Amino acid sequence: MNRLGQMTFNYKRSIIFLLILSLITAFAVILQAYFLVAAVDQVFLNQQGISDIVWMLMGLLAVLLIRTMSSYANGRIGIKMAANVKAKYRKSLLRKYADTPIKQSAGGQSGGKVSVLLDTVDDMDSYFSEYIPQLIQTTVIPLVILIVAFTQHINTGLIMIITAPFIPIFMVIIGMQSKNKSEKQQEKLAAFSGRFLDTLQGLTTLKLFGRAKTQQEAIEKSSLSFRDATMEILKVAFTSSFMLELISMLSIGIVALELAIQLIIYERISFFTAFFLLVLVPEFYSMLKQLGSTFHNGRTSIGAATKVTESLNEEIQPVQWGDQVLPVDSMPGVIQLNNANFNYDEGQFSLKQITATIAPYQQVAIVGRSGSGKTTLLHLIAGLLPTESGEITVNELPLTHYSEHDWFGQLSYISQQPYIFSGTIAENIAIGANSNASRQAIEKAAGLAGIAELIQTLDEGYDTPIGEAGRGLSGGEMQRLALARAFLKKPALILFDEPTTGLDLYTEKILQQSIKQLAEKATVITVAHRLHTIKHADNILFLEDGKLMAEGTHGELFEHVPEYRQMVSVQRGGKAE
Amino acid sequence: MKDLMVIIRLMMAEKRDILYAIIFGFIAGITSVGLFAASGYLISKAALTPPFYTLILITSTVKLFGITKAIARYAERYFSHRATFTILSNLRVNFFKKLEPLAPEIFHKYRSGDLLSRIVGDVETLQNFFLRVFYPPIVLALVFLSTILFTAFFSVYVAFVLLAGLLLTIFVVPAIFALRQARITQYVRTERGTLSTEVTEFLHGFRDLKIYQKLDEKEQQLIQSSDSYISEQERENINKLYSQSVNSFVSLVVSWFVLALGAFLVTEGQLEGIFLAMLVMISLTVFEDAAPMAAFPIHFQDSKRAASRLSAVVEGGDETDTGTSDMKELQSRQAVTIDMKGVSFSFPDEPRQTLKNINLNLQAGSKTAIVGPSGSGKSTLLQLLLKLNHADQGDIHLDGLSIDNIDQESIWANTNVVLQENHFFYGTLRSNLLLAGDSLTDEEMEAALANVELDYLSLDDAVYEKGENLSGGEKQRLAVARVMLKNDHLWLLDEPTSSVDAPTEEAIYRHLFEQAKKTITLIPRQSSPDQPGK
Repeated sequence: MNRLGQMTFNYKRSIIFLLILSLITAFAVILQAYFLVAAVDQVFLNQQGISDIVWMLMGLLAVLLIRTMSSYANGRIGIKMAANVKAKYRKSLLRKYADTPIKQSAGGQSGGKVSVLLDTVDDMDSYFSEYIPQLIQTTVIPLVILIVAFTQHINTGLIMIITAPFIPIFMVIIGMQSKNKSEKQQEKLAAFSGRFLDTLQGLTTLKLFGRAKTQQEAIEKSSLSFRDATMEILKVAFTSSFMLELISMLSIGIVALELAIQLIIYERISFFTAFFLLVLVPEFYSMLKQLGSTFHNGRTSIGAATKVTESLNEEIQPVQWGDQVLPVDSMPGVIQLNNANFNYDEGQFSLKQITATIAPYQQVAIVGRSGSGKTTLLHLIAGLLPTESGEITVNELPLTHYSEHDWFGQLSYISQQPYIFSGTIAENIAIGANSNASRQAIEKAAGLAGIAELIQTLDEGYDTPIGEAGRGLSGGEMQRLALARAFLKKPALILFDEPTTGLDLYTEKILQQSIKQLAEKATVITVAHRLHTIKHADNILFLEDGKLMAEGTHGELFEHVPEYRQMVSVQRGGKAE
Repeated sequence: MKDLMVIIRLMMAEKRDILYAIIFGFIAGITSVGLFAASGYLISKAALTPPFYTLILITSTVKLFGITKAIARYAERYFSHRATFTILSNLRVNFFKKLEPLAPEIFHKYRSGDLLSRIVGDVETLQNFFLRVFYPPIVLALVFLSTILFTAFFSVYVAFVLLAGLLLTIFVVPAIFALRQARITQYVRTERGTLSTEVTEFLHGFRDLKIYQKLDEKEQQLIQSSDSYISEQERENINKLYSQSVNSFVSLVVSWFVLALGAFLVTEGQLEGIFLAMLVMISLTVFEDAAPMAAFPIHFQDSKRAASRLSAVVEGGDETDTGTSDMKELQSRQAVTIDMKGVSFSFPDEPRQTLKNINLNLQAGSKTAIVGPSGSGKSTLLQLLLKLNHADQGDIHLDGLSIDNIDQESIWANTNVVLQENHFFYGTLRSNLLLAGDSLTDEEMEAALANVELDYLSLDDAVYEKGENLSGGEKQRLAVARVMLKNDHLWLLDEPTSSVDAPTEEAIYRHLFEQAKKTITLIPRQSSPDQPGK
């Protein structure tokens, strides 16, 4: 709430406009009642001809137009404000995410982020497009009506001022009751619709275990109990509007009765005044009722804003880069890790005190059981994660002193699942190039990566759309595409996360050949699973539980490190000697 | 429209609540009109200094109307919402019933997981169908017609003006805007799609973007598509606002006409002046209920779209429905023999045959590894054995019975299957393992966890939807533990340990072979020569 209040404060000008427009609407409401009543009065009591009231009717028509237009303008301002806020917050969230270093499991994390960037930001819309304009309208208009009522007939004003507070009081009482309940309900609702999805997705599993039929009953049961729970909450909301309705009805009734008594028995007020008030008073109460429902609707948006703010306030430790130039001819340089440490947020896993030296043109294999921190180490060397203490140096200068541009310009990272962007094949390869690559260079890279033949069989060749909206690629094809990117880039340092799952034989062969070829001009650091890769490495870093347990060649480690021997002897890819 | 009829038929199961909602809705609407009519009349009457008791009478009527209205509104809301949620529940169950026989084949047809979330969304969308599309127009029509009938007693002309107003505010104006709205919604959807792609690429392709230094570029692109998405949303909102404003202006103008016409009639002596205020009040009130109709076309379109998408998913399901009547059950109290003769298979839309003339005979109690590079048809072979796909040519016999004559479900009932993708449900480890059998004890389950080296987890540990909080290796091991508990006589395992490290993998296989003195067919990870070979 506070946060949204602050956000709104940034739109002072809009708020002032909203206030002015609400005042105009208020006067339109009053003039509308005036003209209407005056016309009836003239015709009914004063027996005037139609020509005598023409100006009133015209005035009334004009006022109706003004009323509609000013409330339209009111809405327009709100919509504009909402659009502004959404754009601004999406932009800051994006900035934030761009600065956040990658996490270990990108999958689950990014799922949440996608929904914050898309849906949560969208949910903020109604706060600005509906809540704020309505809030201002429903505050200003009743106030003006009240003042007018006082000037016309003090008793009516008094009745209004006495009965009106009951509306907010009831709203508060019922609101307090329902608030907690409905928040819990919201969570339940989200969980519930998730559950239905979960069941649908797991249908194959359910059938394989012969459980599908029982799930049907479970769905019905949980749907109905969800209904009952929801009805409990809704009943509170309905009771609330019932009470509001009743209060306003009774109040209007009292006003009407008092007016009638004054009119007949004391003959103190005219028909005009009585009718005028009788038209105005319902407007007053209906505005107050609207205020109640407005509060209610604002809640979702408030929740959304809180979520966005939380994401923005999350602490991150971005990698801070310097501006030291990293000359192309100095690479591949010597990479040194000096007591490098890294922790993930919740302290679940960490890399501890890694010290190692990687010489130029070396082929290094990082080896260890799953969960030992291999990929994290690769990310650390890549500069995708910040070291917590200790440092990584390149040519004896800390990595982070170099400019980000220069460092990543020399680096290729071939992951297990290279990301395919939606675009053509050519565009996807060209992403590897630092500047605009020629079609010729792209085709050459594709040829080296062994994917050219496949591309030639496609109708649209290099212009075939792939990615989200295009043709799907197999795992092997994606790997080869990633290799093509690397061939185009000609990096001095290659970080390679070897696929754990089997690829087709052709890709396996290409993969080995390509890495060999790329290694002629680069240092290669591989998270290795294949025994072939491990055995041909110049140096092996053997990790266990985030610690560098041993370092050396395959022969050395095999001889001296029993854990290594045990791990390698069951490693797939052939017997270890 | 046909699809919506299906929904309406389902809805009619809740006839009683629907009827109540309509009745109370009508009462609430009509008393509201009555209330204002009475107060308009009251004040006019009062101006003519009538006897005091008349006044009392009218005031009491006003009060009575007020209270009735409040109560009726409450009841209307109560019944309409209860009906809505019951209908929704019926819809879910009904849809699940229709989808259930189609699984898992249907998941091959629609490969993206997106389909399912769309289904869930569509079912949710349909809650607006009853609440905002189906019954409000009925109530509105009843209220309007009664009001028009009532005014006709006093002045036919005024009744005509109201009727014209009804047509304008309920049909004409919403229809005009609905057309525009449909077009804009289309744009909004497209822009949202683009933005969603950009966002997904930005977050999932983050590492590649960062290393290839395309992050800033992508960020700019994303901001651009966000901006154009927002501006389409803005247009949508403006159109909505415009339509509301026009509608409310029209209804105000109708009241203006009622006033002008009424005044004219009074001066002409065709209408008693005392009714003028009443008629104006009626007109001002009755149109209040028409305001929500502006949103009617939107909800109507949404519901229609949702209904037809839902029925598109389950349609055509009947053709794959295998007649269960003359199917035999696979009854195995012991290991199963598998026999394949000349089996060929190709996926629809693919010219290449995935399996060519496969002949094999697996003896009961044997263990078989199917090896080959990826894409060579290993998983497809298992799918044929599970009757998830049907061979184009050749025969498959299980225990001497042709697979064509065996009930699909009885194959599954007797098989321990681990697929490449295994689903875990929201709940706990225990609830997920209990799928294998209700009578399992904690000790048995813990032992199974220990077999796959997951004993560092507790049975009470939470499992999120799709097992999101488990790593790939943990999920595979949990799947193996689950089938170990099921412990049937045919094991079909498809790369069950591809994400598990080698020592753990070895331990798992040791336990597996110990337990399974039955037919095992497995697709191990590629090229493991030390596995039992065939």
